[in-house]
Amino acid sequence: MNNSIGAKRGVSIYSYSGLFGVTMQLEDCFKDIYDMGATGVEILANSHIDSYPELSDEFLEKWHYLCDKYKVEPAEYGHWLDTRLYKDRGLTLDESLEMLERDFRIANKLGFHVLRTKLGVIDDYLNPVENWREIIEAALPLAEKYDVIMCPEIHLPTILSDKMVSDYVEFIIKHNTRNFGLNIDMSVFQNRFDLQTEVPYPNQRHSNPDELIPLLPYVKCIHAKFNAMDDDFNEMTIPYPPVLEILKQNHWNGYLISEYEGANKDVPGYVSHELRKHHVMMKRILGY
Amino acid sequence: MLEKEVIQYRGFHNIYEDGECIGFQVCIRSTYYRGVWLSQIRPGRVVVDGEIFPWNTIIWVINGKEYTTDELAVSGKDFWRVTEPATLKVKKPGGLAQGYHDVSVRFGLSASYMPPSIDQFNDEMEQAVFNGGTYTREKMIIV
Repeated sequence: MNNSIGAKRGVSIYSYSGLFGVTMQLEDCFKDIYDMGATGVEILANSHIDSYPELSDEFLEKWHYLCDKYKVEPAEYGHWLDTRLYKDRGLTLDESLEMLERDFRIANKLGFHVLRTKLGVIDDYLNPVENWREIIEAALPLAEKYDVIMCPEIHLPTILSDKMVSDYVEFIIKHNTRNFGLNIDMSVFQNRFDLQTEVPYPNQRHSNPDELIPLLPYVKCIHAKFNAMDDDFNEMTIPYPPVLEILKQNHWNGYLISEYEGANKDVPGYVSHELRKHHVMMKRILGY
Repeated sequence: MLEKEVIQYRGFHNIYEDGECIGFQVCIRSTYYRGVWLSQIRPGRVVVDGEIFPWNTIIWVINGKEYTTDELAVSGKDFWRVTEPATLKVKKPGGLAQGYHDVSVRFGLSASYMPPSIDQFNDEMEQAVFNGGTYTREKMIIV
């Protein structure tokens, strides 16, 4: 991995979820990623590993084959801590750790280091389960063992100035840990809400790009969320140029992972086309 | 590969046991973008040509294993993958008649990362719910 180059481009297989298993298989997604010259991939464990919750030898072999053939590296592994797994009770700490360790182990075998760790939430503002500190603290030694970084995702309706974000940063500083970080979803900068998107955000609150700067040391991955591209390669709902400029100026060298969340996800070819526009835009702004 | 619709044409047929027709089965896929643990499934009713088969009388078959709805609720270690349809077995002595049938299936899938206020399912309500709803496919054919 060339760390000197700055932000790198990747694609989340989530973008293809309207077609995955219907008209596209994993290798079709890799072919697309190769076309775009993107070098990283995000998978969602629970969606894209065909032997999940196990990791079969066949999948492991296929994974290495695809990464080699299409020159793509594992950039981010999406997984969930399903705290409301049972209707009548929350998960115990032991059950939570078991769930996390299973994914750490699979991620490690597939070559992932950055994880998008989706915690259960308790309210409409997406505040995480009350005992998240206890869970993450207990998981840190396991994360260290498997060489992975747990990153909760900061996503609308949460914005960067919310207490949840400073709580996470405080936790990282207090534990001086390399195994917990942040995944920022670019939805937090969305400033246009009149176009069709998969998830509506009626209150229209959002962050200014500058608010990202102090968080960058903790940001291990960015979900390059996009909702609508125009034909001149501009994203119409999220101010990409200032955000990517900030990444350049601050020499941030993690992955920008394209995540399409607009219309027509189930129309064959549509998302592949939008992803190409999105990557033209990112290449132009990044300058490489 | 899967059919795009939730209710699949493939797998729709009557079920025979010891030469006797005891009911029918219909296969569904999940259009939620991620696979779920079986305890996250919120099973609902099956309706064929207006005849209602209550949610708790349906047997779900996932990865070749049969589950009652009570068993689904406690199966937090078994998994329903997005690429594999589930088979719903419905008891109906004599089965469905040869020809066309309008079939609907209602179910939801719980997601811990969504606000609890949204993460709700009710078999009686007809409106869509987060990760679920009532799915209908008309003119399904029994041969």
